[in-house]
This record gives sequence, C-alpha cells and structure tokens, in this order.
Amino acid sequence: MVFAHGFGCDQEMWRFVAPEFAVDHRVVLFDHVGSGQSDLSAYDPEKYGSLDGYAADVVEICRELDLRDVVFVGHSVSAMIGVLAVQQAPELFGALVMVGPSPRYVDDGDYTGGFSRADIAGLLEQLDSNHLGWSAAMAPVIMGNPERPELAAELTNSFCRTDPDIARQFARVTFLSDNRADLPGISVPTLVLQCTADAIAPEVVGRYVHEHVPGSVFTQLAATGHCPNLSAPEETAAAIRAFLSW
Amino acid sequence: MDQPRPTGPSEPPAALSRLLEDDPADLYENAPCGYFSALPDGRVVKVNRTFCEWTGRGSGDLLGTRLQDLLSVGGQVFYETHLAPLLRMQGAVREVALDVVRADGTLLPCLVNAVEVRDETGAPVLVRATVFEATARRTYERALLAAQRAAAESEARSRALQQVVSELAAAVSVRDVAEVIVARIRQAVGATGAGLWLSAERRGSPRRDRSVPPVELVAVDGIAAELLREMEAAAAGGAELVRSGGGVHTVPLGAGLRAVWPGLAAAMEDAGQEALVVVPVDADAVHLGALLLLLGGAGDSGLIDLSEPGQRGTLPAADADLLWTIGRQTGQAIERVRLYEETARQAARSTFLLDAARMLASAGGVTDTAERLAELAVPRLADLCVIDLATEQGLTRPAVRHADPAQRAVVDELRERHLPNRGAAHPSVQAMTENRTVWIRQVTDEFLAGATGDQHHLELARTLRLASLVAVPLTTGGRTLGVLTLGADRRRGRFTSADVEVAEQLALQVAQVVDKAQRLELETLTSHTLQANLLPPAPPPVPGLAVAVRYLAASQGADVGGDFYDVVPLAEDQVALAVGDVVGHDITAAAVMGQLRSVYRALLADRPTPSAVIGRLQAGWPLLGMQRMATALFATLDPRTGQLRVASAGHPPPVLVAGGQARLLDVRPSRMLGAPASTVPAAEWAEVLAPGATLLLYTDGLVESRTADLDAGLARLLAAAARAGTSDPDALCDRVLDELARGDRADDVALLAITRLP
Repeated sequence: MVFAHGFGCDQEMWRFVAPEFAVDHRVVLFDHVGSGQSDLSAYDPEKYGSLDGYAADVVEICRELDLRDVVFVGHSVSAMIGVLAVQQAPELFGALVMVGPSPRYVDDGDYTGGFSRADIAGLLEQLDSNHLGWSAAMAPVIMGNPERPELAAELTNSFCRTDPDIARQFARVTFLSDNRADLPGISVPTLVLQCTADAIAPEVVGRYVHEHVPGSVFTQLAATGHCPNLSAPEETAAAIRAFLSW
Repeated sequence: MDQPRPTGPSEPPAALSRLLEDDPADLYENAPCGYFSALPDGRVVKVNRTFCEWTGRGSGDLLGTRLQDLLSVGGQVFYETHLAPLLRMQGAVREVALDVVRADGTLLPCLVNAVEVRDETGAPVLVRATVFEATARRTYERALLAAQRAAAESEARSRALQQVVSELAAAVSVRDVAEVIVARIRQAVGATGAGLWLSAERRGSPRRDRSVPPVELVAVDGIAAELLREMEAAAAGGAELVRSGGGVHTVPLGAGLRAVWPGLAAAMEDAGQEALVVVPVDADAVHLGALLLLLGGAGDSGLIDLSEPGQRGTLPAADADLLWTIGRQTGQAIERVRLYEETARQAARSTFLLDAARMLASAGGVTDTAERLAELAVPRLADLCVIDLATEQGLTRPAVRHADPAQRAVVDELRERHLPNRGAAHPSVQAMTENRTVWIRQVTDEFLAGATGDQHHLELARTLRLASLVAVPLTTGGRTLGVLTLGADRRRGRFTSADVEVAEQLALQVAQVVDKAQRLELETLTSHTLQANLLPPAPPPVPGLAVAVRYLAASQGADVGGDFYDVVPLAEDQVALAVGDVVGHDITAAAVMGQLRSVYRALLADRPTPSAVIGRLQAGWPLLGMQRMATALFATLDPRTGQLRVASAGHPPPVLVAGGQARLLDVRPSRMLGAPASTVPAAEWAEVLAPGATLLLYTDGLVESRTADLDAGLARLLAAAARAGTSDPDALCDRVLDELARGDRADDVALLAITRLP
C-alpha cells in the first residue's frame, strides 16, 4: 500500500492510519517533492507545473521498489495524482482509495467545485501570509544547518513547512487543475471516502467523483473536516479495510 | 542621613495590587487578546468578550459554530490543510495568520496560537486558542509581498529580455529570428498566441501609391487555423499591423474591432480571446512589421486561469514596455540577418554569373546554349526559367525548366496554350516589344488573370504558385534576339533588385553567345544548302544499261568536294559519261566543280566527242576564271552496240570488269584541265563494251591514300573488282568501296559503274 499525502503537510498525515495496514501489507510512505523531508533541490517547476509530474514520481517509486498490485491511498490532491498514476501505468495498481477527492475546485458552469476564482486567489494570498515569516526567518536556519535536523524539528509548524515558492506552486497546481476528464478512464477498483462538512471537498464533489469513476464505491464518513486520516483514523482505516476485503 | 526609600516595582501600590488580584474571569473576558476554546472538530465551546467585540458577533452566535466557518475561504482551506493537521500532530501551532470574518462581512486579520488539550490516552479533547489582531502587521506584510512580487516580476521580465536577446544573437535567418520571437514573446507576457508579420517590401524599394504595403506571415505559435486566417486577412487588408512605428497597441475585442474587422472579432470570440496586442517591429526608425499577440483563453500550463473571463484582455504597463523593447530587438536582429543573408546571396550570385560565363563559353549551338543556361538558372537563380528566341517563324521556346519536376508538366501545358496566343500583357512579350526588363515584384491573382487567356489557363498559372517574375530581353547590337523569363515561387520568395540585376547580366551574356551561335548556324545552313545543290544528281535510267553511282565526301570539311560524275543520255545511240576531280576538297573546289559540270553540260548540246570536250574545256579554262585545275575523264557509249569512246585529261584510267577479270583501259591522258594548253588534241580510246561487261570510272580518292601510292591503289582496285565477280554495278560499287574506302578518307571519292545489259 502506498500512502500519499495531500497539499499542506507531509507523510506524517498518515501516522495513525498507515500502521493499521503494516500488519498485512507492505506500507510505503513518501513525501512529495517540495514537501516534508523531500530533497528540495529535486524540485523542477516545469515537471511539477502539473499533477502529471507528481504522478510520474508515484509510478517511479512503485517501479523502483518493484511494487505490484499496489493499493494507492491518496489524500486530497493525491487522489487525483493517483488517478493520473493509474492512467500512466495501469499495470502497477490493484486499487485506488481516494480520501476527500476533488477533480476540480473551481466552479465551472453546472459543475460545483465549491470555490470561485476569487476564493482561490484569496487562498493563495492566505498561504503567502503564512509563509512569509517562514521564508524570512526560518529558511536560513534550516538551510544553513543541514547537519542539525533537530533545528528544523524544533521549528514552529514543522510538519507543514516548506519552501514558500514551492508551496505557492503546489497550491496553484492543486487548486487550478481540472481532472474531471480523467475520471472515467480509471480501470481499477476505486473507493471514494467522503467526510462530513468538508469545506475543501464538499459531498457534492465526492458524489461527482463516485458517479464518474466506473464501478467506484462511495463511503460517507462521520468524520468532519478534510483530514479524516488525522481526525478519525479508526473510521478511515476501517472504511479502507472494508473496501479491500469487499 | 535618612533618605526616603523609593517605592520599587516589587511593592506595588495598594490600588494596583487590587487590580492585579482581579477576578480571573474578568481577565479572561477582557484580555487584550481573543480567547476561545473549541472541540477537536472545531466547534467553539467558549469564547471571550474581546473576541466577540473584535468580530462583532455575540457569544451566542459564536458558540456551537465551527471555527473554520468563521474564517475566510482561504483561511478555511489553510485550517483544513495546515492548522488542524498540525494541532493533531504536534499539539500546538504558533503565529498562524488567519482572516476571521466579522459579522458585517469585513475581515479581521489575526495571528492565532493554539494548543490541543489531550486526555491521558492522547486523544484530543479541546483546542485552546488565542487570537491577536494583526491588521497593521498584515498590511505591512502585504506591502512587503507586493514589493517582492514586483521585484520578482521585474526580474522575470529582464530575464525574458536577456533570453530573447541571446537567442536572437544566435539566429542566422529571418525565419530563425521569427521562430525565436513568437515562442519567447508568448512566454514573456503569458499570451495565448503570437505571430510575426513583416512587410514584404525591402527598404528603399519605392512605392508608387500610398496603398497598404504587402505584408507576410513569417512565423506563428499558438494561434488556431481559423483565427489565423482572419488575422492574415486583416493584416493583408492593412489593419493596425501596418501602422508605422508608435508604441504597443492593445486592441480589445469590442465594438471598435467588431465594426472594422467583424470576421476577426468573431474568430477571436470563438477562440475565447479578449484582446490583440500589436507590437511594432522597427529597426533604426524603419518600420519592418509587427508582432501580434492574443490575450485571453487558457494558457499552455493546462491550469485554470485565475482571472475571470472578460478580465484577461489587459496588459500591465511593464509588460507593454517589455514588448516594445522586444519589438526593437527583433527589428535589429532582422536587419542584421537580412544583411547577412544578402551578403551570402551576393556571393552566390557572383559564383552563378561566373559559372554561367564558363558554361556559355563552352556552349555549342543556340538550342544547346539555351538548354544549358536554363539548367544552370534553375534552381540556383529561379524556380522557373523560360527562354524564348525570335526566329523567322516567330518566337520559339528552346528551353523551359522548373525546379519541381512535378510542375514541368504544368509548364509544358502552359507553353502549349500560351505560345500561339500571346497577349500583350504577358511580361515576356512586353520585354520583347518594349525592349526593357519587366519585373513583376509580386505576382497577384489580378496579374495572372490579366496575363492569361481563359479560366483554365488561369488555373494552370495559379498552380505554379509564382511569387515574382522577371523578363529580360536578349539584346545585342540593337537586335532583340529573344527573352529570358525567370520565375520565383512562394517558397523562394520574391526577386530582389539584386536578382534582377543578375538576370540582366545573364541576359547580356546569353544574347552575345546566342547571337554568335545564330550567325554560325546561319553560315552553316547557307553552306549546306549551297553544297546540296552542287552534289551531282542521281543518274537517269538509260535503256540497255545498268548504272550505279557513289559519292563520298572527305571525312573533314565540307559536305561536297571537287569530285563529280555525270551521266547524260544524248540520243538513243549515245550516252555521255563523265568523272572529274577538281584539285582540293574544300568549298572552293566544290564551287569550281559545279561550274565545270555546268560548262560541260552546255558543251554536250553539240554532241562533241570526248576529246573535243577536253579541247573545248582547255580552250575556255582561262575565260571561265576557274581558280583550280582539274582532272576529268569523258566518254560516250552507244548502249545498243557497246561502242565506247574515252578521253582523259590527266585522270586515272578506267577499269573494265568482264568475266571475272578486271583490267585498266589504256587511255592515254592528256594534260590536266587548267594546265597550260597543248596544241595536240587529247587522244581518244575506243573499244566495244561487251554485253555483261562493266565499265568502272572513279576519282583518285579511291586509289590514293595517305599511306599508299597510286600503283598499289590501282592494284588493290583491280583485285577488288575482279573478286567482286558480279555484273551488277551497285554490288560492284559496294564491294569496291568496302575494300578500298574504309575509315578516314583524306579526299572525296566519286564512283560511276555502267554495265551493258546482255
């Protein structure tokens, strides 16, 4: 099982869920390039200018580790990265679990994504506000002391820190992509996990995904918010288990 | 020395002490920061008055509301993606910037610190948060960010400009420049498409009227075919594009554009484009053309455009400045590569003219010259080359070449249609009749319609896709010999004035060579015609005789030499025979021979004897003004009796072939004709030619050669004649010539064989 984190933090997002599956699966966790402990120098704005670049990394990880029949669990934007990875290398994947997926955040005609263009512009600005302090004050500390990782660990909000330019790009790619056309092509069993009162991926969007992925299973979680993997890890794990044994 | 002890901070006054011991509840409610507590899912369960006041919301309104629902949309997403996960993972967050929505809808910029309170199992129970107002700080931060972004954009622009400049420096053709510029300029300002149109006229080429100069599309990137067609139509029609100089113009998709270019406006609307930007491309104040950019629609990134539809047709002033600079750089690069290309073309032209001169020097006849020239001109100078030459029969086309073999059939068909029906509007005809170079700089459809006869003819002409034509008369010494017509198709582009100059120089060279070749051909033709008239005629049939003649000219020189034979039936009982050889085997010898034969024929009217013929010729020779001497053998033969009389003027003896035997007749020769006359008449030899016997008369070319003397030649002749063993004169001639006159002949040979039929 490969667990992929969404926009914001890193693989720690799966700390309460992944161990549940380690007993009977090979569990692979990773940080997307530009997030967590990844090598920031590997960040290529062109490659990561679209979700395809991230999906190519997933495929590469699976091939490098010689994984077969992979259950890909993608949270948030990683759900769509999973869709693209399955598209790129269908032979590697056995199942796809999408936690709080959205193929397009921006409303478009009859389609409801939950956000207007102005909302996304506000979000990008919000992110800039929160990264300003980091980039000005913290970057030199982290960048200058690679031999002392504890410095980084002590930093405020360390799990969700990253380079602000990368964060801005990742946010743009996350919130400005449109992967609706990719959904009908998914060829593996798929689970859509939908939270209650999720401001980022509302239920109508989860339903849309479920309707457009052929043969997908839709599970409504009682958990609220966008991160059931943190707020309701037992329920999340149980839903995935139920899907895998189904 | 008692000094009053100052009251130190360690001992607060009583009133202050009372305040400091205030009710903790009051401290909570009225603290200088907002306080609230929320359940792990965000629902607010306790909130202080300060927070209520700041947000303009009552506590009843706030309690039970989820924290995230109080935030701006951006804040909600940040809460979900960062704040909530961090609280769960590390138990606390500090200095998170969030905007809380006040009751009146305005935003309260805050900094939030929060801790997660957990139970003994580590499960989250409560979130406690403090909220600090950060309006001033956030204003400052925004200004800082804006400045950072402006700096980054300015750096990006200068990087884009540097990149354009360095790539332009590497360009070696106008096409290179154009391709670099359309690709880079799109990236530089985020345009959806770009195209470069350049004026088709070069600097210095005068324009007679003030109409729109022709423009052509040189490179394009990211513009759909339909829209491009409309843009091309507008460009050709003289839209903004051709405005000379000025700044960068943004033409929004609006009423103005719709009124002037409705097709273009409609195509832009269909393609989701919202504005056209026209960037002048100038070099040293000379307007070369313009770059056209399209704004609006989706870019290349595949990401959703954040600006609302309808808001994308504007260009920041800094981008307009960047475009203006790039336009200037493009203009300078185009001028540089054009100069480079022109220099290279100049060198190629010089080489071409040199090759043409070399080729013309070695050319043979007129047609050969024309064909080789056409071959040389295509494709080095032109894609189409037609050479017309004026002859007595009118214009002929000795050469037509086209660079594309597939087009040659078209050219041939055009030629078929065109030749008999040459309109005066045709440039080739104009060049001929007006004796001047006719240069059609740009071949337009109107031009083709005027220069062609009918619809099919026009269609044919169109398929050649000609861009330019030049027709140069071939003139020398005031005579127009023909016309050289060159065509350039659209791949090559139009002829420049330098190309026309080359065509004119070439035409001059060709005219001289053609003139020389035509003169030579005329002389040759005259000579051949005259010589053909001098050749002895075929002998007439004579009853009772079989006659065969052969005439072989010498290998070198004229077709006719000084040898002749003659057979003239004079009466039933008399046939006059003659064989002669004027000294030399050139055209003078031929002329003397002709004269001699005529005089001889005139003498025959009196039916003179052979020796009388010689006597009269000898007597008349000085009067006739013959420039050469001659040998000759004259005879009369009675076909009925075989009575034969022969007289010789210095001529080799005849051969008699009979019954498988061959012998020389012992005819005693008198002096050669033209030699100082002798008073003694020529001896006459008489014998009867037996039935079946053959008399063989010949000239010395048959028996004399460069390598053997006369006696050896005569012996070989007799042997050959004897071996022939035939009474057929034709077979005998063939056999004799086969054995004696093989290979190179230094002299002419005339042969006359007469067999008396049994």
